[in-house]
Amino acid sequence: MMEVPTSGKVMKADELGSSLKASSGKKFGRKARLSLYNRTFKVICIASAVFVCIILFSILFLMGRTGVLTFETVSVKDFFFSTEWVPENDQFGAFIFIFGTFALTLLTMLISVPLSVIIAVFLAEMTPSWLKTALRPVLDLLVGIPSVVYGFLGMTVLIPMLRSVTGTNMGDGILAAAIVLTIMVLPTISRIIDDSIVAVPKKFRDASYALGSTRFQTITRVVIPAAKSGIMYAVILGMARAIGETMAVVMVIGNTPQLANALFKPTSVLTSNIVMQIANVPFDSTWNYALYMMGFILLVISLIMIVIVRLIQGKGVKQ
Amino acid sequence: MKTKWFKGLAFAAIALTVAFGSITSVASASSKLSGRIVVNGSSALLPLTLQAKNEFQKLNPKVKISASAAGSVTGPQSVRKGIADIGACDWDASLDVPGFKAFTGLVANKVAVTPFAAITNSNVGVSSLTTAQLQGIFSGKISNWKDVGGKDADIIVINRAFGSGTRVNFQVKALNGTDYMTKGDNYKEVKSSGDMKTAIETTPNAIGYIDLVYVTSKMTALKINNVAPTAANVINGSYKVWGYGYYMTKGQPTGAVKAFIEYIQSAKFQNGSLKKLKFIPLSAMKK
Repeated sequence: MMEVPTSGKVMKADELGSSLKASSGKKFGRKARLSLYNRTFKVICIASAVFVCIILFSILFLMGRTGVLTFETVSVKDFFFSTEWVPENDQFGAFIFIFGTFALTLLTMLISVPLSVIIAVFLAEMTPSWLKTALRPVLDLLVGIPSVVYGFLGMTVLIPMLRSVTGTNMGDGILAAAIVLTIMVLPTISRIIDDSIVAVPKKFRDASYALGSTRFQTITRVVIPAAKSGIMYAVILGMARAIGETMAVVMVIGNTPQLANALFKPTSVLTSNIVMQIANVPFDSTWNYALYMMGFILLVISLIMIVIVRLIQGKGVKQ
Repeated sequence: MKTKWFKGLAFAAIALTVAFGSITSVASASSKLSGRIVVNGSSALLPLTLQAKNEFQKLNPKVKISASAAGSVTGPQSVRKGIADIGACDWDASLDVPGFKAFTGLVANKVAVTPFAAITNSNVGVSSLTTAQLQGIFSGKISNWKDVGGKDADIIVINRAFGSGTRVNFQVKALNGTDYMTKGDNYKEVKSSGDMKTAIETTPNAIGYIDLVYVTSKMTALKINNVAPTAANVINGSYKVWGYGYYMTKGQPTGAVKAFIEYIQSAKFQNGSLKKLKFIPLSAMKK
């Protein structure tokens, strides 16, 4: 990203030199010019990196600082463990949403990970190459569809379908949201697993076949274990995406502050509750602070996940 | 290739000149008002504000108006904080309403009339409800359609989120202030009028409420106490579920803000553009 402006400068390096020469009146040697240019480039790079860090930390700081104000009026225990979310009566128990977020992510992963592994194995091990070249771009394209489109399709197609299949009254709830999220994260997860399976050296497979294993045994006992760190990496990236997803979820989850103890019960998660209420919340109120706190929790969760991804990645390189 | 690019530029330049020319020609017939007006608040009133902004700026080119919408309650809040000059709000924010305390020091200027309708999915088959029945349904005490003359099926209540102007108005005008239910297996909340419309159209046995202008043929707009929700019934006073749209200002409006509000309240705008946007003119209610 940072190469774009600098490559523009590379072209004009001699112009820069000549202008400097003209302005200072002194003769700049090629060496001096280069070292000046290199130093400038270095400063720009460092400044950009620092800038990004400042933005990240100021977001963390601002969200955290505003969020912490919640605890002036609400006790920490109430916020994290109470199930009563009634802003009208100054009750801010976020347990329902925290629980909902984890339940939804877990359910999504339960559906999407096995499916993604199967898709990836099919793509990497079984598909003829012409189909491979057709399928991979399709999966990549699916990643680019805006989430609000998935949400609208979920609301108008999936939910009526769930209703008629299961005979429930509404269909909104954690299962509908998990299915929509599964469709959203499936391409991401399966493409990363696909790449990590392709990266497994051919000699592993050859050795396995030489020992007389079937194709199924080779894939399940050799290829998938060998690609394990890549699979973990994909799962965590998928989880990070599922946890932060808002627009699609808010359209199918029902948005009722009650505990998600059934698959078809309208409920709410951190993201959906924030987006439902943030537009209507008074600026200087505990309610506003509580929403910030919920956003801060989400941020912390995704930070933890990124750290885990980094650790797994580091392991993979060493092996 | 180069000629093509040049042609495009020339075309843009001509278009710009024409546009600019038309602006200046209108400007010549304008008044001396100048200033800057920031409008924030209700999304229901935004189309009205934008239309009025365009017309008003043609008459007063030195007045710059910027309008945005984030939700009813942000209107009076922005005005109180000094971020906006006008806070569009679906209720009179200078008085207490259920869930929101009065914003003292703000003045409410009526700008339009918005009717609301109780709506059901078209499979429900009930066409009229009394106020008491509506109160029972939205508070969760009545949970089956057979109790209000329909078939044997659970009632699914779809509500707008807390803070919605439509929600406040429906609560005050249709339910006489009774509380909504907030939980249940057959209860959900939606974010906007558009989501409400989709949810009602696609959910069998569902009931909700919406601005009259959003009502489509794919849903049933209920009669309340046997009065149909039409503009005519709002005007003749028999249909009670409607509310004024307000422009909240800090103290009495002055200068450009005053002129802008007066422009919206003028007979020309009320009976022209405002009616076209399916709001009801203020003058229709004065009797």
